Amino acid sequence: MALIDIDNLVFSYGPKAPRVLDGVSLSIERGERIAIMGGNGSGKTTLAQWIAGWLPRPGMEATTGHVHAKDRPWQDWTALERAQTVQFVGQIPMQQFSGFAFTVFDEMVFGPGNLGLEPDEIRRRAETVIDLCNMRHLLDRDPFTLSGGEQQRLSIASALIMQPEALVLDEPTGNFDPESRDALLGQISLLPRDLTIILCDMALKPALAIAERFVLLDEGRIIADGAPDEILDHPLTAEIFGLPAVMEAAGLIRDAGHWPTSAKLPMTPSAVVEHFVRRAHDAQG
Amino acid sequence: MIGQPGPHAGKSLLYVPGDSFIHRLNPLTKLVGLLWLAATTFMLPPEGMAAIFVAALAFGVIAGAGRAFVRRLLFTLLPFAIALFVIHGLLIERADTIDYGLFSLSADGLGYMGRILVRVAALLTVSMLFVTTTHPAILLKALDSHGVPPGIAYLISSPLLLLEPFSTRARAIRDAQQARGLDLNGSWRARAKAFPALLIPLVTLALSDLDHRASVLDGRAFRARPFRVVLDAPEDRPYERWLRRTLLVALPLQIGLAAWL
Repeated sequence: MALIDIDNLVFSYGPKAPRVLDGVSLSIERGERIAIMGGNGSGKTTLAQWIAGWLPRPGMEATTGHVHAKDRPWQDWTALERAQTVQFVGQIPMQQFSGFAFTVFDEMVFGPGNLGLEPDEIRRRAETVIDLCNMRHLLDRDPFTLSGGEQQRLSIASALIMQPEALVLDEPTGNFDPESRDALLGQISLLPRDLTIILCDMALKPALAIAERFVLLDEGRIIADGAPDEILDHPLTAEIFGLPAVMEAAGLIRDAGHWPTSAKLPMTPSAVVEHFVRRAHDAQG
Repeated sequence: MIGQPGPHAGKSLLYVPGDSFIHRLNPLTKLVGLLWLAATTFMLPPEGMAAIFVAALAFGVIAGAGRAFVRRLLFTLLPFAIALFVIHGLLIERADTIDYGLFSLSADGLGYMGRILVRVAALLTVSMLFVTTTHPAILLKALDSHGVPPGIAYLISSPLLLLEPFSTRARAIRDAQQARGLDLNGSWRARAKAFPALLIPLVTLALSDLDHRASVLDGRAFRARPFRVVLDAPEDRPYERWLRRTLLVALPLQIGLAAWL
């Protein structure tokens, strides 16, 4: 049984509005780390909201198709069940705050308080996520006075404390400088291995850092689904995202005839070095 | 206790950090006390209202909020007093109005002005005492720990909490519109004309935020249960519970008595 199962989903934000999702089918297993990649307007955020159960809602139902979580349509789930199954973190951290907490700590424990957990259990969960997200020095601060990176870490901590089975991240590093982005990606990579992570992004770096499966979305349709190296080799990938510098360099080397055309382009500098070291050895041998 | 509001928490609030006796009272006791005093000011003669005003001011000073009290009272009461003086002292003609040539003055009018002023001053200082000694976060915890429905607690907290991001957004819209050539420094007519260009995006964005915030709250199981569990709820001593009950019983009795007499 897949954790999330999307079957032929067609969706638009109104009867006369264009289709945002156009026949999307996707199955996400427990523990998977998946990146849904696409350019602006490809339907990433809408798909992320369907996966997280934010959609459907009244007046915003699927034209055809459905999304099931553990074999049940989202409509059949209570808010309590859904909150403990999937959590969503959007790209603007300030928009993720509850509007109920004057301190970082209170923001974190807002969700567990709603679940009606025992105070000791709330504290135990808080202790875990405080360390995981490196928040201990910020607990007494007003969430709205934190930096963008700290706010996003708080959003992730507030989601993780619900102990969901899956975490949906919608461009979590979209507004960050490279240093903050790398710090947050480092933090995400430390999350428990059994947590399913669905990352929606238009940048390759976060996807390469987190995901082991890439889904390429274009104009609301899935055009490729597979391992990162397969997707990076896809002609549309370079067109939409641009390639990492190392892959562009490898592509030029391949065009110059120094790289086998049948081999996949390397994603890391070490893979390029390895290739040429092997070639040098072969030439000597 | 972790997560207590630090010096950076809610900087835009009127709360003055402290550890006075009034700070330590349970927020619900203060809230009920505020309601009782507010109702009582309408039943007391001016001397009684003045006594409440002086007592609340003295407690405010003891609580370390003297400066905040004086500033707020001056900003609020001074223009109000001037307006009352002009209307009731100078403009409204009464039986005892005496003409002094350049202006005419009524002793009855001045007395009426004094009664209104002292009542408003009493209401204001009592309210100030509550807001300067009660952090909204602690009030929320008190409401939650007494089983007040989360929706009601949210109505109290969200305007206070969302004021800051709302102001930030308003400033960003103003800067963006000015960068596009909107004249906000010209005549009042030019500024009035520019107002919709500031207001419309602000309201539109606020409305679109509502939808998102509803999903955020739903995603974190808000109102999934009829009550919330809170950590570090403020202490509620037995004498405070008795005091609240007494005041809540006294309140309708006082109003009834005042209406009957």
